[in-house]
Amino acid sequence: MNLIKNDNFANKGISTPPPPKGRVVRSRWTSRLLLFLMVVGPGVIVMVADNDAGAVSTYTQAGYQYGTTLFWLMLLLLPCTYFVQEMVVRLGIATGEGHAAMIYKRFGKWWGVFSLVDLQVVNFLTLVTEFAAISMVATAMGVPPLIAVPFMALALIAVACTGSYLRWERATIALCILNVVWLLIAIPLGRGAQHPVRNMFLPTAPLGGFTGDAMFLIIAIVGTTIAPWQLFFQQSCVADKRLRFSDLKWERLDTFIGSILTQVFAVAMMIAGDAARRHGISLPAGKDFDPTLMATFLGTHGFGPVVRNCILLLTVDAAILGATAISLSSAWAYGEVKGWPHSLELSVRKAPGFYAIYALCVAMAAGLVLIPKAPLELIIISVQVVAGIMLPSAIIFLQLLLNDKELLGERFVNKPWNNWVNWIIIILLFSLSFILAAQVLLQR
Amino acid sequence: MAVLLKTNPDELYYVVHPLFDEPEEKISADDLGTMKMSKSVKLALYALRGYLIIMGLLVSYHVVSLAIHHVMP
Repeated sequence: MNLIKNDNFANKGISTPPPPKGRVVRSRWTSRLLLFLMVVGPGVIVMVADNDAGAVSTYTQAGYQYGTTLFWLMLLLLPCTYFVQEMVVRLGIATGEGHAAMIYKRFGKWWGVFSLVDLQVVNFLTLVTEFAAISMVATAMGVPPLIAVPFMALALIAVACTGSYLRWERATIALCILNVVWLLIAIPLGRGAQHPVRNMFLPTAPLGGFTGDAMFLIIAIVGTTIAPWQLFFQQSCVADKRLRFSDLKWERLDTFIGSILTQVFAVAMMIAGDAARRHGISLPAGKDFDPTLMATFLGTHGFGPVVRNCILLLTVDAAILGATAISLSSAWAYGEVKGWPHSLELSVRKAPGFYAIYALCVAMAAGLVLIPKAPLELIIISVQVVAGIMLPSAIIFLQLLLNDKELLGERFVNKPWNNWVNWIIIILLFSLSFILAAQVLLQR
Repeated sequence: MAVLLKTNPDELYYVVHPLFDEPEEKISADDLGTMKMSKSVKLALYALRGYLIIMGLLVSYHVVSLAIHHVMP
């Protein structure tokens, strides 16, 4: 917080008009709380939106296959997600520009175009999985996908096209808060706190040991927790919200709270999967485990229709959150590289290209899901591989940008300990993504 | 930004939302051009470019063959 003593106002009470839309408070503590509440948003949204429909599927499956034995992984991933996202916060606040623009300007046209195309491809494929989840849940709830999917697509477009960043942010934060229901569900589904807490702080081998399947799921969890679109999304979001240098510490706190929330919700999802396993869910022939099957099973095996409907609606909530954040990261990145006006604060008339990209991403992904016999499994596999390949290179650029003293000066560049932590994360992610890509490519 | 308006005994603070505050001057990359890199960093980026191109081709081949299998099982 930047405190400026202003003698002009001394002893004049508050008769002097405040800055436009400013608020006057009496205590330092209240002013800090208010300032934090004004800044909070990009960090919580990026982290909770990271638990999208694909993540719900991955975490519940992890619980179904390995119980609570992988909880330690979530604790391990907490600092990783925070440190990676903290770098884009610093870069966004320092430059007031998005990640795509920075890569384009500092690494040249080839890398700029490559990053943009790669981001658009992986984002589009991920969007398709979000709408596939909406379609699947709609079917489970007896709503025809031909009605549910276009309705959700239109709602997603409408919420972003209001010409107000704050309106979009408040709607999205409300969707994030809905995730608290995961915790309420986890209480009756779980086996008390002792087991989960022990598995969180004492790393244990997954049930059945570190088999190929277990390794695949661990890599999928890491890939789900740290995704390439998050880097582009949060930096553009910070820039669009026009966060100031003095807001850096509050945005760091926002990101830290978000990273805790995302891992806590993920643990609750694993507890739901674990409950299905303990109560003996049997999968129909030829069907893999998925959240809708889990919800239906838990609803008919002692937990009632409320739990079933909550899980189904939370899966849709996750898909909507993921879809809006991913589509926006695509639209912001495209606008930055093309030099188009690109802000949620602008009306559709003032930023037609930005909103067109957003609407096009949503409409195409929704349309693809409605095509009968669309190769959705192929798309899901492609998402994992392309994201796995792209993530380490995206983080390398981030790391290089955060060491760019010519651009950022001493104030915003990484400290030596930042670099140590980040290079360890990069090496880890590079190894895991290489293994994931190889596993998927080599499997028949 | 929170601005201290009055000193003791009754300090007052103006708190302004970032979207409604005066725009502040940010660090600009427009005049800097591309980043100056050491030879080793340049070499590492060329290696990364090669890795990404090869992996991209492999993924494309794999996806196309899976798609053909999907259409003509």
